[in-house]
This record gives sequence, C-alpha cells and structure tokens, in this order.
Amino acid sequence: MPLLINREVVTDNWTLVKNEAFEENASIPAGDIIVPLTTYLAHNESLTARTEQVSIQINGDDDLTAVLENLDQFPLIAIDFPAFRDGRGFSIARLLVREGYKGEIRATGDIGRDRLAYLERCGFTSIQIDDETYTPEMLSAFDEMSNYYQSATDNVRAVYHQ
Amino acid sequence: MYQYNEVDQKLVDERVEQYRDQTRRFLAGELPEDDFLALRLMNGLYVQRHAPMLRVAGPYGMYNSTQLRKLAHIARTYDKGYAHFTTRTNLQFNWPKLEQVPDILAELASVQMHSIQTSGNCIRNTTTDQFAGVIADEIEDPRPYCEIIRQWSSLHPEFAYLPRKFKIAIAGGPTDRAATQVHDIGLSIVKNDAGEVGFEVLVGGGLGRTPVIGKQIRPFLAKEDLLSYLEAIIRVYNLKGRRDNKYKARIKILVQAMGIDAFRELVDAEWEHTRNTDLKLPLTEVERVKAFFKPFDYDSNASNDTSLAQKLAEDDAFRTWYERNTVEHKVAGYRIAYASLKPYLKPAGDVTDAQLDLMADLADKYSFGEVRATHNQNLVLADVKNSDLYSVWQVLTEANLARPNIGTLTDMTVCPGGDFCALANAKTLGIADQINRKFEDMDYVHDLGDLKLNMSGCINACSHHHVGHIGILGVDKKGEDWYQITLGGDDGSEAALGKVIGKSVASDEVADTLQKVIEVYVQNRFENERFIDTFHRIGMAPFKEYVYAPVN
Repeated sequence: MPLLINREVVTDNWTLVKNEAFEENASIPAGDIIVPLTTYLAHNESLTARTEQVSIQINGDDDLTAVLENLDQFPLIAIDFPAFRDGRGFSIARLLVREGYKGEIRATGDIGRDRLAYLERCGFTSIQIDDETYTPEMLSAFDEMSNYYQSATDNVRAVYHQ
Repeated sequence: MYQYNEVDQKLVDERVEQYRDQTRRFLAGELPEDDFLALRLMNGLYVQRHAPMLRVAGPYGMYNSTQLRKLAHIARTYDKGYAHFTTRTNLQFNWPKLEQVPDILAELASVQMHSIQTSGNCIRNTTTDQFAGVIADEIEDPRPYCEIIRQWSSLHPEFAYLPRKFKIAIAGGPTDRAATQVHDIGLSIVKNDAGEVGFEVLVGGGLGRTPVIGKQIRPFLAKEDLLSYLEAIIRVYNLKGRRDNKYKARIKILVQAMGIDAFRELVDAEWEHTRNTDLKLPLTEVERVKAFFKPFDYDSNASNDTSLAQKLAEDDAFRTWYERNTVEHKVAGYRIAYASLKPYLKPAGDVTDAQLDLMADLADKYSFGEVRATHNQNLVLADVKNSDLYSVWQVLTEANLARPNIGTLTDMTVCPGGDFCALANAKTLGIADQINRKFEDMDYVHDLGDLKLNMSGCINACSHHHVGHIGILGVDKKGEDWYQITLGGDDGSEAALGKVIGKSVASDEVADTLQKVIEVYVQNRFENERFIDTFHRIGMAPFKEYVYAPVN
C-alpha cells in the first residue's frame, strides 16, 4: 500500500498487523509493527518484549485517555478511518498534536483523494492509501486550494492574521 | 453587504476548478459513484427524483442585484426558467445537468457566489434575521458575525465529515426572527450587566424526526471567543456524536443523551485549550467585516413625504398590502417591504427568471441594490422610501409578488414534497393548493391575522412543521398520503413544538380540518388575540373535541 510522506510516495518500514495475527497458530510478522489499540492492550506483555518497534492504530471508538497520557511510548500512531464518512480521525489528529505528540501520525483506512489536503491540515504526517485507490495523479489534490480561511494544525494562519 | 477580496475570490475560483476535475473524473469512470456522491454533496448537488438539484448558498439571506440577475440567467440557460428559495435562505435549481454544474459554479463564482457546504454532513449556511441592520429592536447587526462564521466554516478541514449536517443561526437581539432555538447552535446577540455585547449560546435544538428546543450552554460569550467556542462545541460533537444511525446523529441527540451540564463540561474543557490561540477573533477583524454592513446613506428628507398617506387613503388594495407586507424601518421615512413568494396556487418559494430580474431592478431602483431571502421563503426589500412604496407595490403586483399575505395562513412554508423529493412520504403542493382554495377570501385571512402554517412531506421536517402555529406532516399509510396536524408550535422567542391534535386525516380532508381548527379559534379568541395566544390560553381540548366530533 503506497505511503505518502511530504506529498511523496516513500518506502514503508511498518507493517500493519491485525488482531488475527495474534490468534493461536498465527504468526506475527517480523520487523516494526502497528497493531490495533485493543490488541496492543490485550497482548501488552509479549509486545513490549519485542525488540522491534511497536506502534498502535486507534479509531474513534477507542478510549484514548491512556494513550494521550503515554504518547511518548509510541514512535507512530495510526488513526483509522473505517469509512470515508467517519470524520472523527481529523479531530483525533488535532488532539494528538495539541497534546504535544511528536511522532508520526498516520492516516489509514478509507482515504480518498478529496481528503488528502484536509488530513495534512489536521496534522497527519503520513497517509496510507489502498492499492486500488491510489493513482499518481492523486498527489495533485494537495495543491488544488492555495489558501484557507481558518487556522488548523498546519502553518496556515486564520485569514484575519494573514 | 460583504464584498469578496482576492482571498475569497481565489478560493471560490479554485473550488470551481477542483469540482470541474472531480466531475470529469466521475464521468470518465475514474471516480467511484460513492466517492463522487460525497464530493457533489459538498458542492450542493443532490440527485433528486427527476434530475440533479443544485443548491446555491445565499449567505445569511443576502443577495445583490448582480447576483439575482446571474441567478435569473442560470435559471434561463441551464434550467427550466425558475428556481426555489429554501428555508435556509438558499436558492435551488431543480433541473441542472450534472455535466453542466461546473459551468454553473463558474458563473456563480463570477458574481461572488458558490454552493460550498449547502449540503453534506458539514457546517451549512448560517441564517439570521431578515431585518438585520434595519430593525429598531436589535442590539447589533448580526450579519458581520454570520460572515465571520461563513469564512471560518468554509472548507474547514476538521469538520467536513461530521456525524450529520450542522446548522447555525444568529438573532440580533431579544426578538428572535431567526428560529435560533431550533438550530444545532443558536446564537443571540445580548448585552451583559457590564454593558458588553456578546452572544447567548444555545445548543442542541433541531427539528426532523426528534424535534428539540435548544438548551443554553453559555449565557454570555465574548465576541473574541466566538470562533474558539464554536470550534470547541463542534469538536466535541465530531468526536462524540453518534455515527451508527443517521437519525440519531444530530448534536441534539448527543446533548440529550449526555445532559446539557455534562456536555458543557466537555466543551469548556476543550475550549480552555483553544480560546487563546489563533482562533481568538481580533476586534479589528470584527470592525473590518462590520464596515461592509454599515447603514446606507439614508435620505434625511424621506420622512417629509406626504404622498404615502395620500395613497393609503386613496387605494384600498395598496393599503392592505402596506399593512400586511411592510414593516417599520428603524429610519424614519423608510419601510421594509416584502415580496411574497406565496402566490395563489403556485408552489411556495418558487421564482421565475423574470421575477428574479425584476427583483434586481427594484432593488437597484428603490433599495440600495440588495434583496434578502427569509427563512419563511419570501423576499425582502429592506430599505424602501415611503414615497417609493406605491411604485414598488405596483411593480410587485404586476409580477404576482404582492399577495398581501405575509404572516397569514396562506403564507405557508412548504417543502417540495413527494412531487419532487425522493425522501418525501407524501405530496405537499396539492394540499397547499387545497388550503389556498379554501382560504381564498383575503378579508377572512386578514381577519385571522398572524398565523404560521408549515407543511412538510416527511418527518425530516424541511418545512419545520413542528414550529408552525399549525403544522401539517405528510405520512404514508399503506401507499396513501395522510396528514397529521399539530397545533401550538412557534419558532420565535417563545419557541415551542406543536402537539399532535389527533389521528391523521385523508388528503381530501386537510383544508376542511383546518377550517374547523380556525373556527374554534374564531369562536374563542379575544379581540386582537393571535391564534397561537388563543391556543395557549384555551389548550388543545376544545380543538380536538370540535375537529373530531362525530358527524350527526
């Protein structure tokens, strides 16, 4: 799955691991992994014992209290968009930035071209796109609008401060 | 009114090109239908029963004459020669071609208009009092704040995919002509004990399937805090609002479920983080935007006019119109004049291209080039000199825009209903005609006085039937259209939700039933008592008893 950082496709060093990988007889891939928060909490002991890096994937249904209190534990936090109509991830990203999170904030899930600029504006630093959805042409979506009225997590200031 | 600067213009121009490309990719099969659906909704384009419907934003109801002429041109060129004003003071075209919509948007951008966020689960057009800036009872003109909210909410990156649509209204003072109590957020300009002007904030009002009166979340909000506080409310809603059921997704359900106090705590906690950030509104910005809404250069000799009194004495038809369709202006010698979009046996809120052109001409000649749309689907010329009223009336009469029925029973607010709308359970337009036929006698209607009648074709309540003094709701019973009648609703300062009078009535009995309701009112009213006041005094029982009395 293509990963965008700074509006460019880059090599992805992380593997997104679903809960099924933790079932009996299943195997967890080697290397740095991202696991859903619920899985992370359920398998906390074995995961912290890993030598490779472990990060979490969260979504709007998760209770984020503990995550927000322990942000420095995670080099990366993936925020999942289970459906394109579900806009909670935009607010969650802003909360992470506001709480001082400095790691990678990655968007995963149902992400289309039209949301790329909004994701960037809300503080996402990487965007993972499905193979079927991705086209090189998508990258031009970032530049379609050259200015915005309101401030967000990016460097755009509110229009009355510009 | 507000004039675009380079930033505003560039934004709408770029938006047009963005949408043009999205349409191209959809038509070329590169963009899946579902993805395009979300994009076209963000640009006000629905697919209706017969054709796409394009909803153009009329920011807080303001239109200038250049814009009206452009809208007339669009109606003529891209549609069937008419358009429809909505209860959000927007304008809908019912027959545009999907592939021509980018061209229409480009036409709109050329006159500082757009259709951004007129649909979709985002922050919609902010509405306000149609008398903003020209009525004596307001504390401050609410339009500058509407414009500030328009800018802040346009293409807001965080709030484009809320659980559900989000509507904000602002009233300029204690008299609420903007239905603020039935909005997701209702703001009223208030003055606190220290004499400072700010906003009372209500949250969680709304109509639709679960009508709710908004609750006060903050008695006084300083102007500088307007945007940070709105952002705090909407962030909490975006994170906590239900997404599993679209009928439970509005903020009113969240506020009801949590209770207003718990909701307020969350908002305040959020607000603490943001109130001293970039969102703090500089008062210089408020002043900059206010400058666009300065009072016009009114003629100080206007009050010396004697011709109006003479015309009123001479011409009964003119006097009737004057009494019903004009309102006192805060400047002596001027009146606020309505153009009624509720003519006899025509759909409420519809206008032809010729009528749009004519309103533009009237505005240029008599009202500083501006026209306002009201949330009851009429138009207003806000600044007409007394000496010009007779001429205005004559022109309006010629154009079938002078029916003297503002605020009366035949000034119905009606959605397009089952004839046009795919969501509707029942038709509305035929019922409106039936009521118009029954209550054709103008003297009788005038004698009934202020009476707000709202009719919706389904429980989505686009025509706000819950807050009509009399509300009519179309329901489907085994494939037939039936109508449920409610009494006692109000969207003014004493907002209330109507109560159902009894079992629903068949489509051919609506006007007769209404007649019975009116008869109870007429028998019981005190002199000059409005329907709604009589209802409050005598209650539902006498109405119910008479309407459902067994036929002997």
